[in-house]
Amino acid sequence: MFAAIDLGLRENTAERIVRIALFIGLAALPGLWHGQYALGLLTLMAVYGVLLIGLDATVGYLGQVNLAQAALFGLGAYGSALAVQAGAPLPLALLAGIAAAVLPGAALAIPALRLEGPQFALSTLSFATLSVIFLNESESVTNGALGLSIVRPSLFTMSLDARGFYWLCLVVLFIAWWASQTMLKSRFGLSIEALRDSPTATDALGIGTLRHKALAFAWGSSLAGLAGGLHAMNFGYLQPAAFGYDLMVMLLLGVVFGGRRSQWGAFAGAAVVAMLPNLLSNRTLFFGLISFGCMLTLVSPIRALISRRVPSFREVAPAGAMAVAFGLAFMAANLEEWRKGIFALFLFAAVVGLPDGLAGAFVTTLQKIIRFKPDPLPPATGGISSIEMSVGSALIASNLSKSFGGVRAVDNVSLEIGKGETLGLIGPNGSGKTTFINLISGLYVPDGGSVEIAGKRPAPGSLMSASAAGGARTFQNLQPFSGLSALESILVCQCDGGKSEAMGLLRAVGLEDKARLRCSDMSYGDLRFLEIARALAIKPRLLMLDEPAAGMSKPDIVRLVTLIASIKKAGLSILLIEHHQDVVAELCDRVAVMDGGRLIALGTPDKVRHDPKVIEAYLGAEDVEALVKCEMEPKSC
Amino acid sequence: MDAKYLALVQMAVGGGVMGMAYALVAYGFQLTYAAGKAVNFGQGELVMLGAFAGITLTGIGLPYWAVVPGAMVIGALLGWFIERVAVRLALKQRNEGWILLTIIVGLFALSSVENIWGREDRPFPVPWPAEALDFFGISFTWSELAIVVGALGMMTLVELAKRYTMAGIAVQAVSADPDAAELCGIRSQSAISLSWAVSGAAAAFAGTVIGPVTTVGPTMAAALTLKAFSVAVVAGLDSGFGLVIAGVALGAAENLSGYALGSGWREAPGLILLILALALRPQGVFGKKIIRKV
Repeated sequence: MFAAIDLGLRENTAERIVRIALFIGLAALPGLWHGQYALGLLTLMAVYGVLLIGLDATVGYLGQVNLAQAALFGLGAYGSALAVQAGAPLPLALLAGIAAAVLPGAALAIPALRLEGPQFALSTLSFATLSVIFLNESESVTNGALGLSIVRPSLFTMSLDARGFYWLCLVVLFIAWWASQTMLKSRFGLSIEALRDSPTATDALGIGTLRHKALAFAWGSSLAGLAGGLHAMNFGYLQPAAFGYDLMVMLLLGVVFGGRRSQWGAFAGAAVVAMLPNLLSNRTLFFGLISFGCMLTLVSPIRALISRRVPSFREVAPAGAMAVAFGLAFMAANLEEWRKGIFALFLFAAVVGLPDGLAGAFVTTLQKIIRFKPDPLPPATGGISSIEMSVGSALIASNLSKSFGGVRAVDNVSLEIGKGETLGLIGPNGSGKTTFINLISGLYVPDGGSVEIAGKRPAPGSLMSASAAGGARTFQNLQPFSGLSALESILVCQCDGGKSEAMGLLRAVGLEDKARLRCSDMSYGDLRFLEIARALAIKPRLLMLDEPAAGMSKPDIVRLVTLIASIKKAGLSILLIEHHQDVVAELCDRVAVMDGGRLIALGTPDKVRHDPKVIEAYLGAEDVEALVKCEMEPKSC
Repeated sequence: MDAKYLALVQMAVGGGVMGMAYALVAYGFQLTYAAGKAVNFGQGELVMLGAFAGITLTGIGLPYWAVVPGAMVIGALLGWFIERVAVRLALKQRNEGWILLTIIVGLFALSSVENIWGREDRPFPVPWPAEALDFFGISFTWSELAIVVGALGMMTLVELAKRYTMAGIAVQAVSADPDAAELCGIRSQSAISLSWAVSGAAAAFAGTVIGPVTTVGPTMAAALTLKAFSVAVVAGLDSGFGLVIAGVALGAAENLSGYALGSGWREAPGLILLILALALRPQGVFGKKIIRKV
C-alpha cells in the first residue's frame, strides 16, 4: 500500500523511549488536570497496572486461566493494612503485603501447578473463595465484613499527600513493569513460552517445567501483594467482599482486552478497568467513545464488501456487538444500570476483533508503518562437541518392561550402548520402539527393570532426571516451541554458552540462515533438524533420535545422514529409531530389532538383515524361506 | 432415633438434594466438554435465564407442563447461540479465548436479566402443594423431590440418547476425533452445535427445578456456575454419573460443615477437599487417566 518508514531504530529502543515518555506524561498529569477525584482514578490505574502485569505472568505467559489474583490482591492489602496498624513504616508494610500474598500463593502453587486448563482454573478459584471466606470470618484479625480502616503511613519522614502517593505508585509501576519486561525477555521468559507450547519437550530437554511455572506464579503473586499494599494505603478502608469473583472477572477481562503477553497490554487493560465506571456516567464522553467504536468495527466488514466477498463472522461480530451497544445507549433510561452489559459488549468486540488485544493490534499496525532495525546476529562459533565420559557405556537398560492395560508394549528388554556407538532400533509399527525410548527418557515409569545413562541412574518416570544424566531426545511427533524463533529454541535449551554457540549449532544442522524464523513458520523437515539441534544444545552423553527421517524428502534425508554421521564422528553415542533401512545400514554400528515388545535380534546391520526372525516380523512367516533364498541367491528371484 | 442424629441426617439430605442440582448443572459442562473440549463459564447464567423464562411463560398463562419444555427450548436456542458467537471461533484457533468469551456472554446475560426482570428474588410457581413429606422422620418437599427425580431423569434420558440414537453416536464419534468423524461423513460442527443446544436445554431445565427451592434472582448465576464447575471437574469431565456422587457429597458436606463450623465457613471444607482431590487425581475422582503420547 505504502512504503514503510525506516527509522533506523531497534524495536526495543523505540519502545523504551515511548515508555519513558508515557511515565513522564503520567507524572506531569496532576499538574495539568486538577481535582482529587481525577487523582484518585490515576492512582487506581497505577495500582491496577501493577496487579495486571502480575496477572499477565500466569494468564498471558503461562497461558493458564488464573482466578486467584483478586484474592491474592486482597490478602496483600490486608497484610499491609495490618502491618500499618502495628506501626510498620511504609516500605515494611508493602513487604508485609507481598509476604501475605506470596506465602498462601505458595501453598496453592504446590498442588495447583501440576494441573492444567480447567483443573488449574478451578483450583485457583477454590483458593480465591477460601481466601474471601477467611477474610470475612477471622473477625478478631480482619474485623470481618465491617471492614478495616487505616491511615496512610509516611514514607521515611515525608508524609505523603494524594499527589505524593500517586507518584510513589507510578514509581512502583515503573519498576514492576521494567522488572517484568526484563525477566520475561530473558532466558527465563523464553523457557515459559517454550513450556506453554510443549511441557513434555521442556522437561525432556532439562529446562524444567514445574520450576518455571512456580517462579512465574510466585512473581505474579508478589506483584498482587505489592499492588494490594498500595491499594490499602490508597483507600484506607478494606472490605473482604471487594476482592471476590466480580473483581476477578474484571481483571481477567482487562488483561485480555489490553493484550496478553505484554506489559503495555496490562497497562492498557488497567486503564480501562479503572476508568470504565466513570466513562458511563458522562453521557457525552460515552457517546463519543461508542461512535468511535462503531466506526472502527465497521472498517473490516466494509473492506470485505468492497473486495466483493461475504464478510466472515470475525469481521461482522464486533460491528454487531457495537451496534447493540449503540442501540442500548439510545434506548436505556439509565446507562449506569447497563454498565456490565455494555462492558461485556465492548469486550466481546475487542476479544473477537482483536485477538491479541489493544496492545497487540497496535504493535502489528506499527510494524506495518515503521520498519525497525533488527537485532544483530552474532557470528556462529563452535558446532557439535562431545563430552568426555569416564564410564564405558552410554546406556545400560536392563529388563525393562511396560504394559498398558493388557498390552505388553515393552517386554523384558535389555540393551547396552557403548561409548561413541550408534545403535539402530528397528521393528514394525507397534513393536514398542517409541515406548522403549519413552522409558529411557523418563516419560513413562517402567513396570520393571532399570535404566542407567552414562553411569547415572535417573529417577524412574522423571524426564528432568534423565536429561540431567545426559540423555537427550527428539520426538516422533514434533514438539516444536511454536512461539519461539529457531535461535531462541536453541538458546532456551543451552546449559551454557551464548548466542554464538547457538548459531554454531544452527549452522551444524544447516539452519543458520533461518535463525530468526519462528518455529510456527518453519517447514516440517526444518523442524526435525531443529529438534536435533535442540537436543545437542544440552550437551548430551546419549542422543535418542525417534524416527528423524519420518516424512522427510529425499534431499533432506541425505542431509540428515550427513548430520548424524558428523555427530557420530564427534564421539556421541546415538540411539536411532528409523524405518528407512538404508539410513540404518549406513549409520549404525549395531542394530536391535523389536517385535511385539520383545527384542528379537541384535547384531551388525548385515547380520540382522538376514535373520529369519527379523524377516518374519516384517513380512510374515510364509514368505520367510523364499526371501532368505532370495537374499542369498538374488538370481533365483 | 436420637433427635440430634436425626437433625444431622436431615441436614445431609437437604444438602444432598442441592448437590443433585449442582450435578444436573455440571452435567451441562460434561456435554459440551465431550464435544469440543470447551465448557461454558456462563452456565449458571443459562440456568438463571431458564428459570426466568419459566416465570414469564407462567405469567402469560401457560400451564406448568408447557412451561418446562418451553423454557428448555429457549435454553437450547441460547446454548446454540453461545456456541455460535463465543466458542466456535476460539476453538478453531485452538486458544483459551473461549473461557473469556463465555464469561463475557454470561456477563451480558446477567446485565440483561437485571434490567429486564429486576434485581429482586422471585418465587417460581409450581402446581404441587408446598407442605413437606415425611419419610421416617426426615422431611422433604415436593420441590426437592422434583430436583432429585428431574436430575436423574434428565441425565438418564440424555445418556440413553447418546448411546442409542444415530445423532448421539455421531456426537460420541466427534468427541473422540472430530477430523476422523468428518471423514466418515459426520458434520462435526453440527454435532458440536447439538451438544451445546442439549447442554443449554439441560441448564434451562435445571432452572425450572432449582427455582422453586431457592427462588430466582440474578445472584443465583455465579454461585451455581462455581459449584457446578467444581462438581464437574472433581468428578472428572468425562465421568458420566460420577457427577451425582460428587455433587451429593459436596452438597451434604456444605450443610454439615455449616452446622459444625458456622454458616460463614460452610463452603471451606468442601473447597479444601476439592483442591486436595485435584492434587491427587488431576483427571477427576471418576475420570479416566490420560496417557501422554509423543
